[in-house]
Amino acid sequence: MSRKLSFAAAINEALHIAMQADPDIIVMGEDVAGGGGRADQGIEDAWGGIMGVTRGLIKAFGPERVRDTPISETAILGAAVGAAATGLRPVAELMFMDFIGVSLDPLLNQAAKLRYMFGGKVRVPLTVRTSMGAGARAAAQHSQTLYGMTASIPGLKTVCPSNPADAKGLLLASIRDDNPVIFCEQKTLMFSQGEVPEGDYEIPLGQAATVREGSDVSLVGVGRTVHTAIEAATALAAEGVSAEVIDLRSLSPLDEDAILATLEKTGRLVVVDEATPRCGIASDVAALCVDRGFDFLNAPVKRVTAPHSPVPFSPVLEDAFVPSPARVIDAVRELL
Amino acid sequence: MPIAVVMPKLGMTMQEGTVIEWPLEVGARVARGDTVLIIESEKAEVEIEATGDGYFRHIYVEPGEVVPCGTVLAALTEAPASDFDAEAFRASESTVAARPVVTAKPSATRAATAAPKAGAPATPAAKKLARSHDLDLDAIAGSGPNGRITREDVEALIEQRAALIGVGDGIRLDAPATGPDAGDGVLLLPGFGTDVSAFARQIPVLAEAYRVRGVNPRGVGLSDAPDSERYDIATAAGDAAALMHEPGHVVGTSLGAAIALELALRHPERVRSLTLIAPLVRAEPRLVAVIEAWCAIARESTPETLATALLPWMFSPAYLADESQRKRTVRGLAQTVARVGVEALHRWQAGILAWSGSREADLERVGVPTLVIAAGDDLLTPRAEAVASAIPGAKSIVVAGAGHAVMLEAPEAVNDAVLGHLSSGRTA
Amino acid sequence: MSLSREDLIDSYRQMRTIRRFEERLVDLVTAGKLAGFLHLYAGQEAVAVGVCQHLDDRDIVNSNHRGHGHCIAKGVDVKGMMAELFGKATGTCKGKGGSMHIADLDRGMLGANGIVGAGIPLTAGAALSAQIKRTGGVAIGFFGDGASNEGAFHEALNMAAIWKLPAVFVCENNLYGEATPVEFVTPITDLADRAASYAMPSAVVDGMNFFDVYEKSGEAIERARRGDGPTLLECKTYRYMGHYVGDPLTYRRKEEAEQWRQNRDSLETFETEALEMGLIESDDLRQIDAEVETLLEDAIAAAEAAPFPQIEDVLTDVYCVSE
Repeated sequence: MSRKLSFAAAINEALHIAMQADPDIIVMGEDVAGGGGRADQGIEDAWGGIMGVTRGLIKAFGPERVRDTPISETAILGAAVGAAATGLRPVAELMFMDFIGVSLDPLLNQAAKLRYMFGGKVRVPLTVRTSMGAGARAAAQHSQTLYGMTASIPGLKTVCPSNPADAKGLLLASIRDDNPVIFCEQKTLMFSQGEVPEGDYEIPLGQAATVREGSDVSLVGVGRTVHTAIEAATALAAEGVSAEVIDLRSLSPLDEDAILATLEKTGRLVVVDEATPRCGIASDVAALCVDRGFDFLNAPVKRVTAPHSPVPFSPVLEDAFVPSPARVIDAVRELL
Repeated sequence: MPIAVVMPKLGMTMQEGTVIEWPLEVGARVARGDTVLIIESEKAEVEIEATGDGYFRHIYVEPGEVVPCGTVLAALTEAPASDFDAEAFRASESTVAARPVVTAKPSATRAATAAPKAGAPATPAAKKLARSHDLDLDAIAGSGPNGRITREDVEALIEQRAALIGVGDGIRLDAPATGPDAGDGVLLLPGFGTDVSAFARQIPVLAEAYRVRGVNPRGVGLSDAPDSERYDIATAAGDAAALMHEPGHVVGTSLGAAIALELALRHPERVRSLTLIAPLVRAEPRLVAVIEAWCAIARESTPETLATALLPWMFSPAYLADESQRKRTVRGLAQTVARVGVEALHRWQAGILAWSGSREADLERVGVPTLVIAAGDDLLTPRAEAVASAIPGAKSIVVAGAGHAVMLEAPEAVNDAVLGHLSSGRTA
Repeated sequence: MSLSREDLIDSYRQMRTIRRFEERLVDLVTAGKLAGFLHLYAGQEAVAVGVCQHLDDRDIVNSNHRGHGHCIAKGVDVKGMMAELFGKATGTCKGKGGSMHIADLDRGMLGANGIVGAGIPLTAGAALSAQIKRTGGVAIGFFGDGASNEGAFHEALNMAAIWKLPAVFVCENNLYGEATPVEFVTPITDLADRAASYAMPSAVVDGMNFFDVYEKSGEAIERARRGDGPTLLECKTYRYMGHYVGDPLTYRRKEEAEQWRQNRDSLETFETEALEMGLIESDDLRQIDAEVETLLEDAIAAAEAAPFPQIEDVLTDVYCVSE
């Protein structure tokens, strides 16, 4: 059974399901409820997070398990790590992924490394939900795509769903994963709608999905760029070019087999990533193709990314910043 | 209603295209789907098909011109002489915005028009495939950007090579066949330095009723090019015989006629009828000199230069008088001559010189029904008519005013004569 | 404060073990047998032991780069610690962590930590766990004067205070943050005063006196256990050795350290006051001294003989892998 839900509602549903089943799961972050301490005025649960994703949780599970925190990213994430290492299963919210700058240590040096440094004698079953990506006119400090950074850190896992059904299943899997997982929520996808199955289900981390079969070229995307790729594929089909679209879903672990399989099938690959171009996922995928898929290559691997710049504010500029279907099509043309 | 041929918009970013070639003559009959135009856009040559039936009536834009998408380039009319106001038609059609059309698949069109280039880059997938099939990348035309050889290019070659036919001694020739399976067989043998495309105007016509097989001899196109000092006419005749499982008609031009003659003398039981077009029996001095020039230019220069140099020897003054026709012919001829390597040219040259004149005395022994088609203005094999008189019972026609490449210059006359001869009913 | 004979014996043993453990490490480093950065706790023993004497299996301790003392006081196996410092497979962390990352959650030790101040939010987190799971446990975070200037300190204390977490934050003010005197970088003298910003109770403690530490930490731990929230304890203390082994100690005068050793040494102070309590004899303590030497000799010998980890272990425990 499935029904149409928004991306945000699908995440909310996942949190409800998870917290219902496991009393050790807590939610903590800035304004995850809102109106903290004002239950008597009926305004606790005023926001439910900046996108309303966590609304209703405090009413269902109480203020002990759903905590509005001070604006203290280091303490939020650090406490979440400490709690995770000592028996809880926290879902902490880093309101904007850009704020990782304020609080990288708990993720980089603590969450990612405690298990390793302690010889396997601790686990950190922490999930960090975070809002990322451009397109909402939120400007340079609230629009970055930094999953390449977290994906590069051994000990962390990083996922980024592209649609509501995957968001729900991936979040349930992430919460139940005993490792620290960074769960990326692309801003402009939050109100997108999709069929979402009812009930409790998980989508495994490290598993990509083929969202469209094709034979002439492979388009590899993640999050928002999956939709960019699908638009490009549709336009290309009208010209007689058959494009396959792969949704990575998970950046660490990365489904290398799926990438190599689609490359083997079509011989031509374009990776579409809304992050900036240096040292990122696009380069990672391209390097994989050249390293382990060399004999499959029938054309260069193209990377369609944002430019090497901060995210501009002006809508005209921001729209040019984000990879577009036209740029993907141009890249495909270069390969044919 | 006339039909406009317009510069198409192939995809979102195309703004303009170049007219490359009008492969049809004005007045030619066109069926929907026939290639009516070749254009170039964004480094790709694309064949444009007629969107309806009609007659090719008027050309507005000449080859070489670059025009925006949507420009009216030519017109087809219902009948060759129906009422038609060219300018009025163009004006009325020009308001139509260009709509995107289906792009031909990558490589399928381009591979047909590109020529192999030694040292061209190749994709890893192409290299691996070529290696595993023991293919030389230098012999493969690259259809990718910058002439890059793609996997599709190698696959196309493998497919073509799979179609090669063994003629004994491990030699395999490219001898494609077309036409109804049940038809009588017709074998086509092209002249020196050319390939089966020399019969481009004959094949469609003959293939209506006959099973037509063109033979690219040793060293030509995809055929094997075994290492030897000379490609002998007699050996070539043996190759041709190996391709005939049943008795069939044999048509040869120039050197191909020499091979056909040799075949008829050695294996008369295989040959139901013989057609010799501008036949070579003895290499006259002028022909010898032209062949020497042919080899030298092929060695030192480009196919385009070679084709330009050959034109005056192959065509009549009347044909050469039309400048755009000359240019078109050079382009087509360049592609043909590019398919024969320099080594092969030298080997055939040696073969011709060794064979020249050796069968003059044996002409009277030709025992199969023979037609000789001579070109009236043939500078290279001027004594074709004499050949006819030496062969018992042979018929001959002279196509007045045509050059050595009479099959291209006067295709209808040649076709009529050949068809007539094939159907004349006299069998060996 | 009622300390039994066993308590006193045990406390002395732990303090003595810490002192001698650290001193033996200096010898081992000088002999070239240990690699990496070692930050030694000698001089501050009273703090670790005084606090940890109150703790049981429910409680979590988190420490900093100068964590050997806290590990020992919380009951982490000395042999395992020594093997860890040698980088051997039998180490507490299988050789994967080293000095700054020794941990043993079976003993409630959430680890030493190489990032200054990073353990303080972790402590708040452990307290959060205890609060939500109602374990009755407390979380103790040990850190230095330098760490109290880190943002993490302020964020964590603020959060712990407002959430009334069952935590005790123990700031060991040993007067130096690496090579810089505390007064050069901190505008206040008593770091305990910072707690007032968070409406958090605090106390200044004589960190060289086990009994003062024991008393004041006892109050704080009791406060936390009954749900009245966290406390900041500032223990005034001194580290005898450099910031790290190899530190030339050029930023302070030799006489200063000698003064502390001669007049304020925690082991001597303990011995004096404990004997006065009449529950133990000095022979008891000499007996312990001998046992500690033997313990350490055995630990060193075992560590030297133990195997190194397999190369494949580079890749183990990066992630928790489910079946």
